[in-house]
Amino acid sequence: MTMIEVKDLSKVYGSGETKVIALDSVNLTIEQGQFVAVMGPSGCGKSTLLHLIGGLDRPTTGTVTVEGKDISKMSDTTLTELRRRKMGFIFQFYNLIPVLDAVENTALPLILDGVKPETARIKAKEWLTRNKLEDRGSHRPDELSGGQQQRVAISRAMVADPVIVLADEPTGNLDSRSGDEIASVLRKIVSDWGRTVLMVTHDPRIAAYADRIIFLKDGRIVDDALLSGDNGDNAKRLKEKVEAL
Amino acid sequence: MRIQILLAWRYLLGRKQRMALTTLAVVFGVTLLFGMNAMIPAMMEAFRHNMVTAAGKVDISISGDSNNPFDEASLDALKDIGGISHSTGLLQKNVLLPESLGGTTDPIAGASAVTVTGLDIPTAQSVRNFQIKEGRFLEAADGSETVISQLLADKMSLTVGDTLSIPSSDGIEKLTVVGILSLSASAGLDEIFVPLATSQRILNLPDKINTIDILIRSDADRLTVENEILSKLGPNFKSGPVEVGNELASALIMGESMMWLFGIMALAMASFIIFNTFRTVIAERRRDLGMLRAIGASKRTVMGLILTESLIQGVVGTALGLMFGYLMCLGLLASFGPMLQSFMRVSVGGPVITTANLVGSILLGIGFTVGSGYFPARSAMKITPLEALRPSLGAAEFRKNKRRALWGLAMVAASVFGLVIGELNVAALSTLVFLAGLIMIAPVMVKPVADTFGKLISLVYAREGRLAQGNLARQPGRAAITASSMMIGLAICIAMIGMITSILNGFIGYLDKSLGTDYLLMPSSLVLGGGNLGANQGLIDRIRNTDGVEAATSLRLAASQTKGAALQMIGIDPEVYPQISGLAFSNGDPATAYPALANGRSIIVNGMFATSAAIKTGDVLTLKTPQGDQVYNVVGVAFDYLNAKIATGYISQANLATDFNASSDVLLLVNRKTNSNNSAVLSALKAIAKDFPAFSLIDSTEFKNEQINMFKQAMSTLYVLVVMLALPGLIAMANTMSINIIERTREIGMLRAVGTTQTQVKRMVFAESLLLSALGTTMGILVGLFLSYLLLKALIFIGFTVDFFFPATGILMSVAVGLTFGIIAAMVPARTAARTVIVEALRYE
Ligand SMILES: Nc1ncnc2c1ncn2[C@@H]1O[C@H](COP(=O)(O)OP(=O)(O)OP(=O)(O)O)[C@@H](O)[C@H]1O
Ligand SMILES: [Mg+2]
Repeated sequence: MTMIEVKDLSKVYGSGETKVIALDSVNLTIEQGQFVAVMGPSGCGKSTLLHLIGGLDRPTTGTVTVEGKDISKMSDTTLTELRRRKMGFIFQFYNLIPVLDAVENTALPLILDGVKPETARIKAKEWLTRNKLEDRGSHRPDELSGGQQQRVAISRAMVADPVIVLADEPTGNLDSRSGDEIASVLRKIVSDWGRTVLMVTHDPRIAAYADRIIFLKDGRIVDDALLSGDNGDNAKRLKEKVEAL
Repeated sequence: MRIQILLAWRYLLGRKQRMALTTLAVVFGVTLLFGMNAMIPAMMEAFRHNMVTAAGKVDISISGDSNNPFDEASLDALKDIGGISHSTGLLQKNVLLPESLGGTTDPIAGASAVTVTGLDIPTAQSVRNFQIKEGRFLEAADGSETVISQLLADKMSLTVGDTLSIPSSDGIEKLTVVGILSLSASAGLDEIFVPLATSQRILNLPDKINTIDILIRSDADRLTVENEILSKLGPNFKSGPVEVGNELASALIMGESMMWLFGIMALAMASFIIFNTFRTVIAERRRDLGMLRAIGASKRTVMGLILTESLIQGVVGTALGLMFGYLMCLGLLASFGPMLQSFMRVSVGGPVITTANLVGSILLGIGFTVGSGYFPARSAMKITPLEALRPSLGAAEFRKNKRRALWGLAMVAASVFGLVIGELNVAALSTLVFLAGLIMIAPVMVKPVADTFGKLISLVYAREGRLAQGNLARQPGRAAITASSMMIGLAICIAMIGMITSILNGFIGYLDKSLGTDYLLMPSSLVLGGGNLGANQGLIDRIRNTDGVEAATSLRLAASQTKGAALQMIGIDPEVYPQISGLAFSNGDPATAYPALANGRSIIVNGMFATSAAIKTGDVLTLKTPQGDQVYNVVGVAFDYLNAKIATGYISQANLATDFNASSDVLLLVNRKTNSNNSAVLSALKAIAKDFPAFSLIDSTEFKNEQINMFKQAMSTLYVLVVMLALPGLIAMANTMSINIIERTREIGMLRAVGTTQTQVKRMVFAESLLLSALGTTMGILVGLFLSYLLLKALIFIGFTVDFFFPATGILMSVAVGLTFGIIAAMVPARTAARTVIVEALRYE
């Protein structure tokens, strides 16, 4: 089943002399249950693509369809609700609320959706347990390591049972070991829990966890390939490709 | 809602210091607003308790339109009105009881004043039911007999057969108590009833009454009868009892609006503080808020979160403010009470909480807090989810600042122009415009001021000063708002202190002029009117005939109305008065004004009245008198010391007698011959004063010193109050410093990491705080000068002749206050900053 369909998507920032074409007529289809990594040099439009698909920003032209619904023309309220129910976000800087503990941070999307606090807490704890944080539930973000904070963020992204998880450089701030941990959790989201994941990364080693790699350059897709076989080999081949671009 | 409250609460607790400071600002404003306004009604109430006249249970009460007595003969006009069943004429007045006659200053426990009512005995009983508890009622043959209320009998332990002495215009009136009324007959007042003729003698008002009580036929319509009565009597009568103390009540009402203004000003400063805090809060939480939006929080949720936070602070702050306000009022009343008691003979009870005050304070307290959170909350709402992913953009403020500053500059220019015009209303508006303009300029002033004073500070703290200077200029908007709240506080201080000082000086001058004689015979209450009883010609004649007395003159009193407002009338002797005393003129020429008083109907009005009624020399005034309207020519604007605060007109005593039926002396001024023996004259006068217990003989020098001391005491309380208004400035600074430190935790950690010592960090914070206060103080002094000038204008305008004052004391004090505040405000933040744990600061996200 097609989860995301992107048609002739363009995003232009500014006008005249300072005009920047961040995305240039991108066409893309992502099936349900796919783990897609987006790679490319800095400034090529990776984040822009992710933002548009996540309904965080509006395209200049073109459409984004999620589960058959065109989100590019939805009202802010509808879009907000869609984000709340259908999408999970993972950011490079975790973005946890510093004054809430791990359970409360995780439960946030449910509480925003009007779920009873007790129910929300139970679900939040479930997800924290799945991400091996069962004993850190009452810790505040500043009492957690970077990797742990990112796993709280992943729990938060998953707690409302989204169909799509969007991650912009989720391992950008982590060492390679924590990075691997996060990548395998994302892998599990697809393999064990059947969600669709779209991840932006610079790191070929992290990208190798995905099923499919999309390469962007100057706002266009320049390569789109399915991965199979050994992670290590894939990583090596991706690295060569990145260097080639 | 739940999530908003949870988040709001957690965020607030996460920044306790900042929350405490912001809330404190609200607390302070509400305290001032609520506390001060609980005090005024307490005073009003006390005042009324003392001054209110007894309102009998009659159908219609008629009194003179100008509240003056009128001829008994007016009763004849009522004879053929069909709707009246009974009518009676009364002469009624509050008379203060001096201590020598058993009076006290405590009207609750003892009697301080009695309401003397003269009754026309046969008709009085047909109109009102006088229920006797003991003894008998008055009879036609009675002269010095009296019937008193039970309340008074209890207070003064009087029974039937006892003698009650009260002051009278010929000295003392000894009355024999023949009956005591039951409690229900007199509405809890200290009343005495005497035959009409007796009261006319006591009050020196032969053939006069001041009230007509009327019962109507049961089948008659009250309104119709009332209208018929009023049309028969003519235009100089009104329905309703004699009103006393109107003039003072309006002064109190003015005080009340002053207090509201003070409170609102404090709250306005509080809202600056809150605005600053929330603006920072939003900047600080951009990422959090963006994330919330990204994961599905609606715009309203985000806005609600910020508003909830301000609401919590508003509610907590207001609740605490109400509590402290009440306590403050208790404290002030306790310390002010004795002074008021001796000054006005009014005993003040506890705080009075009116609904208006309570509701007003709550609404304003919460309203200002939530209101000042509103704009930051709106900007929070506009944060897009993308902000969560982007590093925040802090630039672009400067250009807007510059444009705003230009507007501000234009406003300042316009306001200076407005001040020069010399119109008071325009000047007042100009001051507001000036203030607003300065607040708009403030952001661009931050850098130059910081640079200038930075050099000064660099002399002491070479490196830290430089850093502080840069730090302050980083957030010009915040620094400007902080400095603005300090500016407002200090400006008010400077102007008020200047004004207080000059009024004090001025009053000492007037005191010398208008009470410049050697001796004074003062009525019991310093404020003329109300319960003071005058003396007849006998007193002044005896004084004039005393050995060693060179001259004596008197002031007489009546009430009038003109242009719909009450006007106190004072009768002077146009020849003698200016010789031994005098009015302070602000308009007109004394050389022609006094003689003019003796010639036809001429009046000198005081500045207060001239201002409020827009009257100047050469105008004509139509005054209400018991004889109908009379036209007076205004020949000057001037005032005497005692009546500066009340709308007053001065006319000749001859005119006062013909037009206002008043011929009692209420204040006497006496000069002794230069070669006479002071103590001999004094004891001779003392002997005379003994026979007139309504008066106290006072050696002027002594009295003046007493007055000056009292003034100074009152002024020092005012000083405290005014300085209190500077406090929000301190809170604002402490708040901003604490915000700055929080914001820079990472930076401070870095500084510490690379080897800055704790002392250096502290110095940096102190230097920044001092710079901030320098900015506020500079602006405060500027506005203070402006405001001083305005107040000076206003004073001259309402008729006080005040010399120009340069508020040097205020400015010096402001500099001292600024320096102190700068240091105090930095204390806690400096410690927090110095204690920054390097590792945590670097983790701080
Ligand atoms: N708000 C904006 N205004 C103007 N230009 C923008 C804005 N956001 C992004 N751009 C430009 O759009 C282009 C694509 O930006 P984008 O953030 O998508 O790149 P990226 O591939 O995510 O880069 P990186 O790997 O560095 O994160 C860049 O050239 C960037 O400068
Ligand atoms: Mg990016």
